[in-house]
Amino acid sequence: MFQEDGSSSVTSSPLQMFPMMSLSPGFMSPYPWLKDLKPEERGLYLIHLLVTCANHVSSGSLENANIALDQISHLASPDGDTMQRIASYFSEALADRILRTWPGVYKAFRSTRISIVSEEIFVKKMFFELLPFVKVAFVISNQAIVEAMEGERMVHVIDLNVTEPAQWCALIRDLSARPEGPPHLRITGIHQQKEVLEQMAHILTEEAEKLDIPFQFNPIVSKLENLDVEKLRVKTGEALAISSMMQLHSLLASDSELKKSPPTPMNAIGIHLQRVALMNQGTLGELLEKDMVNGYSPSADSASSSPLSSIGSSNIDTFLNAIWGLSPKVMVVTEQDSDHNGKSLMERLSESLYFYAALFDCLESALPRASLERLRMEKMLGEEIKNVIACEGLERKERHEKLEKWNQRFELAGFASVPLSYYAMLQAKRLLQSYSCDGYKIKEENGSVVICWQDRPLLSVSAWRFKR
Amino acid sequence: MRHVYSDPDAEVIALSPKSLMATNRFICEICNKGFQRDQNLQLHRRGHNLPWKLKQRTNKEVKKKVYICPEKTCVHHDPSRALGDLTGIKKHYSRKHGEKKWKCEKCSKKYAVQSDWKAHSKICGTREYKCDCGTLFSRKDSFITHRAFCDALAEESARFTPVNPPVNLNLRNELLMTNNLHNAANSQFPNMFRPELGGLESGNQMSIDNLQKPRLPLWLDNTNPHLNLNPIQNPSSSNPNFLASSSTTLPELVQMAAASQNQWLINRSSGALKQEEEDKGNMCEAISSLYYSNTSSQHPQETNHPSAPMSATALLQKAAQMGSTRSNNSAVFGTGFGLMSSNFSSIGNFNPLNQPRNEVCQMNLGKPENLNGLMASTSASALTSNHGGDVPRLFESSNSLMGDSSPLIMIPNNKGKQAQSGSVIEGESSLTRDFLGVGGNELAKFASMGSSMDLTHYSRNM
Repeated sequence: MFQEDGSSSVTSSPLQMFPMMSLSPGFMSPYPWLKDLKPEERGLYLIHLLVTCANHVSSGSLENANIALDQISHLASPDGDTMQRIASYFSEALADRILRTWPGVYKAFRSTRISIVSEEIFVKKMFFELLPFVKVAFVISNQAIVEAMEGERMVHVIDLNVTEPAQWCALIRDLSARPEGPPHLRITGIHQQKEVLEQMAHILTEEAEKLDIPFQFNPIVSKLENLDVEKLRVKTGEALAISSMMQLHSLLASDSELKKSPPTPMNAIGIHLQRVALMNQGTLGELLEKDMVNGYSPSADSASSSPLSSIGSSNIDTFLNAIWGLSPKVMVVTEQDSDHNGKSLMERLSESLYFYAALFDCLESALPRASLERLRMEKMLGEEIKNVIACEGLERKERHEKLEKWNQRFELAGFASVPLSYYAMLQAKRLLQSYSCDGYKIKEENGSVVICWQDRPLLSVSAWRFKR
Repeated sequence: MRHVYSDPDAEVIALSPKSLMATNRFICEICNKGFQRDQNLQLHRRGHNLPWKLKQRTNKEVKKKVYICPEKTCVHHDPSRALGDLTGIKKHYSRKHGEKKWKCEKCSKKYAVQSDWKAHSKICGTREYKCDCGTLFSRKDSFITHRAFCDALAEESARFTPVNPPVNLNLRNELLMTNNLHNAANSQFPNMFRPELGGLESGNQMSIDNLQKPRLPLWLDNTNPHLNLNPIQNPSSSNPNFLASSSTTLPELVQMAAASQNQWLINRSSGALKQEEEDKGNMCEAISSLYYSNTSSQHPQETNHPSAPMSATALLQKAAQMGSTRSNNSAVFGTGFGLMSSNFSSIGNFNPLNQPRNEVCQMNLGKPENLNGLMASTSASALTSNHGGDVPRLFESSNSLMGDSSPLIMIPNNKGKQAQSGSVIEGESSLTRDFLGVGGNELAKFASMGSSMDLTHYSRNM
C-alpha cells in the first residue's frame, strides 16, 4: 500500500524510507536510515517522538509509548548534541512514568539507588560557578536586603536552604561597608544536613570576624516543609529578611487527598481573601478559577461555604502564613519562571521542553560537549525533569510556576511587592555582561527581575514585605 | 608618655582595693542604705530624724591628695606616679585590674567601667571615616593620622603600578592553585597594597570621595576562598561525606576558577577607570565584583554562528512552526486552541475538507510559536483551555482522540476524527508542510498513507 503513493515521488530525505520499515519492536534492524539524518532533522524528529510518546502515555496506550521510546533510544544520547541530550532525559522521565504503573517492578528497579548528597552539593556549586543565574540572583537579593535594612541595627536573615556561602559572605561585606556602619547580624540557615550547616557556620563566622562585625550563625537542621517557625527564634526589635532560592515551589506539593488544612492558617488566609475580594471581585474569581485549573482541587467535604474551601490546602499556604506572622521586613524569592505545575502531563511536557531546552542550550554554549561537569549538571537537570514528568502528588516537588502566579499567591498571603531598585538591575546587568555571551538577558517585570536565556525566561527574582 | 611629677608636698593616700571598688562607702546606720557621698548620706539621715550635718567647704587650704594604685605590679603603685583624683584612681583600678562586666550590645567589646561602656555604646557602629584601605574610624584625628601613613604606602606601590598588578595576579593565582588557601595571607593585601585603581589615579584625594573607588583587593581576596570551592577543598574538615567529590574534576574546576579569576582581574583593572563615572559606584560596585568571576573564558562557542548546529530552542520553535498549520495563531490562542473545535472554521484558511492543502500550509504563520499544530498533527487533541496569554504551547492535552483506533506514531493522523477535530489534519492535509523542511508533497502523501493506518497495519504491511 505504501508503494502506491510513497514510492512515486522520492526525494533525498531518508525519512521517506521510514514507512518502508517496520515500526514494531520486534524488527531487528536499527533503522539504518537514522544514521543519515542530519542533526536538525534528527532534532525535529526527536521532538515529534517525545510529543507523541507523551500523548500515548497520557492516554494510556503504553504499547505505543513503548515503540516511541524505542525509536527515541536510537536517536537520543546524553552526550550528543543539545536536542539529543534533552531527549534522553525526557525519554527517561517518560519511561519512569510508565514504569510506575507497575509499582512492584518500579520499586525493585530503584531499590538499589543511592543518592549521594555530596554530588548534589558539588553540582550546585558548579551551577553557581559556571553559569551566572545563581550569582545574579544573589546579587539582586543581597541588594534588596541591604536596601531594606538601611538604618537597621539588628538584622536577622533567614536562608531557607543554605548551600552556597558566597551569598552571605557578600552580604556580610556589603553590610560592613555601609556608611552607617554594620549592624549586628544574625543569619539563620536551614538545611537537612548538619555537616553543611557546620561548614556554613565556619565560613561565615570567619568572614564576619575578618571584618569585625558582630555576627551569629544559627543552624537549623530541618526539611523546609517540617520547619517549626518557633525554632527560628525571631526576636522583637530585629529586622527580619528571608531569602528563598528556588525552595518555595516544593511546598506546592500536596497530597490531592488532603483537602483540609488546620483552621487557623486558613482563617488568616480567609482574611486576606476577603480583603482581596472586597478590593476586586473579579480578581478573586479569576484567581480561584485559575487555581482550580492548575491543580487546586475543590474540597468536597469542607465545612465552610466560603471561597476558602476551593483553595487546596498546600503546605505553601501554611508556610507563607507562618512567615507572614514573623512580619519580615523583606522576603526575597528566586524561582524558576516557567509553569511546570500544570495538571496534565502534556502541559508540563510542553512547558518543560522549552524551559530545559533553553538551559541545555545555555550549557552547550558554556561548556564543551565532553565536559564532565556539564554532564553532571545536565544529569541533575534530568532529575528535575523526571520529577516534573513522572511524579504526582507529594512526590512531585519541582512545581515551578510563573512569576505572575507567585505574585498572586504572595499578595493573597499578605505581602506587598517591593520593587527591585534600579541599582540592583544595574549590578545584575553588569554581572551578565562580564560573561561576554549575549545569550543572557535580563528584563524587568512589574518591579521584579527575570533572567532569561535568549528569549526564554529562566529565573525570576522578586522582593516582598510584610503588609498589615 | 607624659611624666608629670606630683607635688612633693602632696599627701599620698593608699587605699585598699576594697575601698577603691566600694561604691557605697557611706552607710546609713538605721537602714543600712549605702551612698557614694557623705553629703547624700547626711541628707538621707534627715529622713530618719537623725542629726545631720553637711560639711562645709573648709576655708583653709586643703592639702592636695594623691592616690596610688594598690596593685603592686602597676605603674601607678609608685608614689611618684600617683594619680591626683580619687575618681580617676578608682576608674583606673577597675579598668586595669578589674573585671569587665559591661558588654557592648552591638559588638563584643567589654568594659569594666560603666561610663566607658556608655561612651562606647554611643559611638559603636557610627563610624564616620573610612580610609581607602578599608579601615574604619570614629574619630577624625585618628583617621587623618592613619591616612597620612596609609597614603605614604600608596605612593610607594603606585610607583610600581605597571609591575604590581601582574605580580599580584600571579601571586594570587598561585594561592588559588594551592589547595590550602590561607585566608590570613590574603587579608594582608588590602593593608599592604592600595588598589591598583588607586594607583592609577593621580592625586590622593583626601576626602570621603575615596569611597567611590571600587575596592579591588579587599573583595578579591575575600572572594578567593569561595571561588576556590573552599568547602570542598578544605582538608581539615572532618566531614568526608559532605566533602566527597570526585577528585578528578576538582582540580579542573579550580583551574577553571583560577583561570577565570585571572580574566576577571584583567577585566576589572581595565574597566576601573570607566567605572569611576558610575554613580553609586561605591562599595556596592566592588561587592558585585564578587561575582565577576567568569568572563571570556566561558562560552567559547559563538551562539550565533551561522553554521553552528541549531539550538534546541530553535528546533522547538521550528517544530512548532512546522506543526502549526494555521495561519492565524492569535485566533488559535484566543479561542483556546480552537484547533480542535468547530470554531476553527472561523479561521479563514482552514479547509476542513480532504483537499490537498499545500498552498494553505505553506502560507505562513506570523507567530508560529506553538507546537500546537505539531501536536495536532501527531495526535489530534481535544480542546483545552488556554492557560495564559502568549506562552507558546507545545500542544494541548491529548485525550479523547488519542486512545482511539489510530495510534500512529510516526505521523499519526486521525482521519476518522474529522467531525470532532474539525480540523485536524485529515489525510494529506496538515502534513503537507515539510515536516523536516524537505521537499513538499512527498511527506504529505506519505502521511496521508499513514493516516489511514494504524500500527498494526504498518507491521502487517512489512
